[in-house]
Amino acid sequence: MQTDPATPVSAEHVRVWDAPTRLFHWSIVALVFLSWLSADQGYMRVHLWSGLTLLALLLFRLGWGLLGSTTARFSDFLHPPRKVLAYLRTHARGGRVLHAGHNPAGGLMVMALLAVLLAQVLTGLFANDGLKFSGPLALLVSDDASDRLTRVHGIIFNTILVLVWLHVVAVGFYHFVKGDNLVGPMVSGKKHRAHVPEGVTIIFAHPALALGLFLASAVVMAWILF
Amino acid sequence: MPSEPRAPGSLSAPLYLLCVALVTGLAIATIMALRPAFAHKVLEMVGLETRQQAASGSFYAVRVAPLFAQHCISCHGENRAKAELRLDSYAFALRGGRHGAVIRPGEPAASELMTRITLPAGDDKAMPPEGKTPLSPDDVTVIRLWIAAGASPTLPPSAIKGAPRLVAEVTFPDSNPAATRRQRAPLASVMQQLSARYPGIIVYESRNSADLELNAALRGMAFTDADLKAFLPLRGRIVLMDLSGTAVSDASAETLAQMTALKTLRLTNTKTGDATVSALASLKSLRSLTVTGTGATKPALASLSQRSVAVHGDGDAD
Repeated sequence: MQTDPATPVSAEHVRVWDAPTRLFHWSIVALVFLSWLSADQGYMRVHLWSGLTLLALLLFRLGWGLLGSTTARFSDFLHPPRKVLAYLRTHARGGRVLHAGHNPAGGLMVMALLAVLLAQVLTGLFANDGLKFSGPLALLVSDDASDRLTRVHGIIFNTILVLVWLHVVAVGFYHFVKGDNLVGPMVSGKKHRAHVPEGVTIIFAHPALALGLFLASAVVMAWILF
Repeated sequence: MPSEPRAPGSLSAPLYLLCVALVTGLAIATIMALRPAFAHKVLEMVGLETRQQAASGSFYAVRVAPLFAQHCISCHGENRAKAELRLDSYAFALRGGRHGAVIRPGEPAASELMTRITLPAGDDKAMPPEGKTPLSPDDVTVIRLWIAAGASPTLPPSAIKGAPRLVAEVTFPDSNPAATRRQRAPLASVMQQLSARYPGIIVYESRNSADLELNAALRGMAFTDADLKAFLPLRGRIVLMDLSGTAVSDASAETLAQMTALKTLRLTNTKTGDATVSALASLKSLRSLTVTGTGATKPALASLSQRSVAVHGDGDAD
């Protein structure tokens, strides 16, 4: 792991997000949209590969949450409920709490999204469209079980929509009400110094580790499927 | 947690939440406009729309719904609603799917459903799709007539003329030769004796049954009350008896009353009468009785008719 103290990249900005985390975030956005579009329009082969890529990315993110850069690690943004509530209470009173990476409420949202996305791709492996297409593991379960999981697949999609809506509303709240732009840093990786706590140290993992983890995730996915 | 004074953005929290509510409402309204099925779901959820029920016994319930159930709802039902189309109830069928209504009352030619079910097999858009049981031409006619008559939820079957006759589906129980052999075993020796004495008169109802049919009509007057009595050992298995034109008389009333499995009895042109009819009152299984040319009278037959026994011949002797 490459150690890289959070030295400012300019007088006003600090690097907070590594490239793999940002790439993961925007890839998930694109793939969730593609998965919906392909299923909606009946392009089930595209849907399959979109889902499989999502699975590989999610496996990668689980590994990156343990081995990645400081702000990507679960240990950095997973907090006990009382801490999340304290954070929300502070905000409700008009106070402001700075975090270099995900804040406690954002961390909870990340975990919720990862959980439902994982549940979505796993149920998709066993689902079928009732016509000519079945998930790659659908033959391992009975037709009834496959139908039930298909129904769950649809329900989870609605849950994803709700979580995405909540996520976007929260990001908008930070931007328009708190004056804290969260989208820009997720694109550039850099955050304005005023929004980063003083003296924080962020250790960035080497991108090669991310590449290795992603390849390993792809291999695990392929091993499960084939 | 390090804390700093609030650096305000461009909107207050209430104003932002109002904007969120407006944008969300606008987004939902847009989706409702683009996706009629979603719109119906939302309107129903907020109580602005109710589901229309089809009347039981209506043409829809008797003729159309069974076709949807057999051919469509595995993909367009509660468990899976492809293209957001459900055909498992009248209300859902009329609402249509993702792209709007599929049934236009009174306009079969303009109804997407008709278009899809009449496409040639092999067409990607044909319904039911390849691999599923196709609709027969009669099925298509039934649906077309229903739509042409206004796709009504209440119109009775008699109101729609020209519909192909409703054919009841007949299913045959699976053959179980071992079970049949077991059931027939206790009858074997009696059957052997009676078959030798009365060739061709007593036979099994079918190859999968131990029930028997007795047909003495071909022996005519040579078949007497005494001959009928010889079949008493099989009384629990004889389900059909044709004694037409035989010498059987009211003297057999007691014998017939012991044929407890009897469902059909033909006594045409025999010397039977009310005594026999009265004796038959104890036969719970009896469903059909033919008394043409007998001495049975209407008053005697009335009690059987009231028990839903189909009586053929009207008791002219009265």
